[in-house]
Amino acid sequence: MRPRRTRALKPLLGGCLLALAVSGLTGCGGDAGGTDTLTWFINPDGGGASPTGGGQAQLAAECSEASGGAYTIQVEQLPNEATDQREQLVRRLAANDSGVDIMSLDPVVVPEFAEAGYLVDVPEQYIEDFTDDRVQGSLDASQWNDTFVAAPFWANTQLLWYRKSVAAEAGLDMTKPVTFEQIIEAAQATDTDFAVQARRYEGYTVLINALVAGAGGSIVQNEGASAEDTQLGLDTPEGKRAAEIIQELAGSGAVGPALSSMNETNALNMFQDEETSGFMLNWLYVYAAMKENDLSFLDDIAWTTYPRVDADKPAAPPFGGIELGVNTASRNKDKAWQAISCITSAEHQKEYMLGTGNAASRSSVFDDPQIQEQFPMADVFRESLNQAVQRPRTSYYGDLSTAVQRTWSPPEQVDPNRTPAESTELIMKVLRGEALL
Amino acid sequence: MNREMSGSQKFWQIVASVAIIVYTVVPLLWILNMSLKSTADRADGKFWAHNPTLENYQLIFTGGAKDLFLPALRNSIVVAIAATLIAVILATFCAYAIARLDFPGKRLILGTALTVSFFPVISLVTPLFDLWRRIHLFDTIPGLILPYLVLTLPLSIWTLSAFFQQIPWEMEQAAQVDGATSWEAFRKVIVPLAAPGVFTTAIIAFFTAWNDFVFAMSLTSDHARTVPAALAFFTGASQFESPTGAICAAGVVVTIPVVLLVLFFQRQIVSGLTSGAVKG
Amino acid sequence: MSTRTVENHLSDRARDERRLGWRLAGPAFVIMILVTFYPILQAVYTSLFKYRLTDPDQREFVFLRNYGIILTDPLWWRAFGTTTLITVVTVVVELVLGFAIALAMEKVIYGRGLLRTIVLIPYSIITVVSAFSWFYAFATDTGFVDPLLNKLSFGLFPADFDWFGGFWSAMVPICISEIWKTTPFMSLLLLAGLTQIDSAMEEAAVVDGATWGERLRKVILPNMKSQIMVALLFRTLDAFRIFDNIFIMTAGSHDTSSLSLVAYNQTISRTEVGLGSAVSVLLFCCVVIIAMIFVKGFRVDLAGGRK
Repeated sequence: MRPRRTRALKPLLGGCLLALAVSGLTGCGGDAGGTDTLTWFINPDGGGASPTGGGQAQLAAECSEASGGAYTIQVEQLPNEATDQREQLVRRLAANDSGVDIMSLDPVVVPEFAEAGYLVDVPEQYIEDFTDDRVQGSLDASQWNDTFVAAPFWANTQLLWYRKSVAAEAGLDMTKPVTFEQIIEAAQATDTDFAVQARRYEGYTVLINALVAGAGGSIVQNEGASAEDTQLGLDTPEGKRAAEIIQELAGSGAVGPALSSMNETNALNMFQDEETSGFMLNWLYVYAAMKENDLSFLDDIAWTTYPRVDADKPAAPPFGGIELGVNTASRNKDKAWQAISCITSAEHQKEYMLGTGNAASRSSVFDDPQIQEQFPMADVFRESLNQAVQRPRTSYYGDLSTAVQRTWSPPEQVDPNRTPAESTELIMKVLRGEALL
Repeated sequence: MNREMSGSQKFWQIVASVAIIVYTVVPLLWILNMSLKSTADRADGKFWAHNPTLENYQLIFTGGAKDLFLPALRNSIVVAIAATLIAVILATFCAYAIARLDFPGKRLILGTALTVSFFPVISLVTPLFDLWRRIHLFDTIPGLILPYLVLTLPLSIWTLSAFFQQIPWEMEQAAQVDGATSWEAFRKVIVPLAAPGVFTTAIIAFFTAWNDFVFAMSLTSDHARTVPAALAFFTGASQFESPTGAICAAGVVVTIPVVLLVLFFQRQIVSGLTSGAVKG
Repeated sequence: MSTRTVENHLSDRARDERRLGWRLAGPAFVIMILVTFYPILQAVYTSLFKYRLTDPDQREFVFLRNYGIILTDPLWWRAFGTTTLITVVTVVVELVLGFAIALAMEKVIYGRGLLRTIVLIPYSIITVVSAFSWFYAFATDTGFVDPLLNKLSFGLFPADFDWFGGFWSAMVPICISEIWKTTPFMSLLLLAGLTQIDSAMEEAAVVDGATWGERLRKVILPNMKSQIMVALLFRTLDAFRIFDNIFIMTAGSHDTSSLSLVAYNQTISRTEVGLGSAVSVLLFCCVVIIAMIFVKGFRVDLAGGRK
């Protein structure tokens, strides 16, 4: 009777293996698509995945159309947060995923991706196209080790937004450069708020970096150095000066009730509160948002370049935006660059700026009458983009930023005598892979 | 159990039942109401949606979030069902052998199952990611089903072997005395007795696979992404908008199948777990 | 070899059983080994390197240094403390609550089916969904918890209390979500134990005049010890690996990181896979120690089925 037992068992086991095999086949079917389909990973920009939403998806549709069948661009959306976007991309890139062709990259990930060999160098024939007529900030952001590894797409920086009536009441002459300390005093004198970002997130690093740079220093002094040889510029007079400003902000009583939970949205909400609104540091998108909200005192709102740290040193507005890179594992690199050339054309940058409020990296776009009408701050903004300072350019940016945020949070406890030194120690440990994050 | 209940006993029973029901359904009703609130009403601080709208459901089924949600839903269903079937079939044999047969290595198998179920899922992720990207299983359906067996197999083996110990093996021995082999005894006597337990195990395994977050987040990127991971990466309209409405609507949608399972098979799940299947 | 004696006949049967045993159990065993053997060994191996995924050229053998770094890092110990706190609080509450619910499910006569159905629901729901539900309930902008507490306390409780703004307050929604989601699992396992108690024994105790408390201590609990221990073992190990709730609610801010989250941050976010693998291995060791305490200390035994 024994053999029967075995026979009865076999079909069942076979069935399991079959199930495994079948599921294997269906799973492998996912990699469909012709040779001329380009996949573009986009960051959320308000246009969603809609070909008529005015965002990157619309540009993708238009360039596909314009290519006359050479390629079709398909968009995939990345998460909201810059850190999540990086995580998603790193996983795919490390897996040598050929399903990624074009990537919308935050400037801070460019060095890391380039260093890891995930980005293709811009081919010679496109360099002129991609560098001509660009604001300085986006040229800086697209290079690594003096090689262009990405194409400037759109560019962002922060402005100082303020209420004319408040500035007038405080006797602040906004036609001249103003300093952080002047704004703090003005806000205190008029009992209004100065809205900045100091939650423990990337936006806080943006502020700290702008302060260090504004004081004439830089967080990383030898960009491109290996982790061990990195020299930090935090435990320096400039770093201490930055900590001083944070300390003054936190102790001023003029930054709203919860400085340590302020992000861009909170700052905008605070600035839209008629009772307390005074000054705000924020990106370009806030103007469209305030217009859309029919703010009652919109006429009272004005803007100028980012404040100075010291009256005698130029301001260092933070640089943001998106650069476009091509994945090393892509099977359609040539067409990807063709597509990028189309996406970043002056016409498309203008269309994109009008559609999403994300500013062009091409200087000439700002002269366009339609742009001038919709963005009355276009000239100031372009000027700021040319002055804008990059966040530390290192392939360890993510770790560095997290370590900065950790040691400088909460802002109420920042101490110029202690914080920069502690911060330096933690960052160095993290860079050497000797600390957890 | 034919004791008469006193009035106060009845009262406390009702109080206890109501308390348990409220405790259980509040978060469910809450996310349902959140999913029915419009963007404007979302921050009104009220529990109920006073002006219910389906706009969030439109968003995930036909609107901007459709491409994120629908494929994830399909992936979740395929992966969870496959991982459940494979695990339960294998575990049934395994648990039977452990509970019933005398063979060396029994402890090794149970110990392995235990160790496997101990291993923090997160620890498996890095090496699996590294291997998957080399053998092109990254972001594929089988690339998820295999690690899901890590979750469902040990659980099924343990649940079933605990369950099989409650079965009156004398009946099988009686059958063997009557001339049946171990296998025949297993098939004719034990399988009917064990079926409710197997079914319960299947449901538990399905819930476990349906629930996974860590594997789905780390071993997929979009082709094989399941709903829990997709939820965590839902995007708002722009960088500065949160996708609350879409998350809540999607959360409700993925809750419906499991609630249906519970409603249809409550009796089997509970009786499978409680009766030991043999008292009659 | 095939002399027909009684003993040989018996050992023949035993061999037969052995073979069948491995045939039945083998496939499951092999799959478990395959899908975990490689990763486990690989994690141990990788943990001996300084290795960053985006910087593979700098890969360097450092032996046990990663372990030294982790065990001297306050972040690890804070996460360890947080994880232990969550585990102890949730498992204790779940045991008490789960036992109460199991008792109710067994005794309640009216609406028993409804009760059992409803209790199964939290268990079946995706943790991430439950986490989002509780997160939005406690959030200052969308939540109903703050307004409700404010009303119930006649305005004493602040209407815009930021639950996720501090360690202790963030622990509340995290633990509540975990407890809500997993108590049903506990209560179902306990219910299974409860219904296996011979009702004659309980009736006899009633006849002897034992109070409910005495019956609980002398009859109910001792008779379901193994179910309680299994339920505790599974839940403790599960709670110790908590990830989903924290990831959704705080993403680890204000020291709310669990050990799993620390591992995730190193391996997935930072792509420091060497350091991350070491965290994973240490986390695994913690879990093994907990399991040993249960298995050796409390003599939880599922393998001794046929004594």
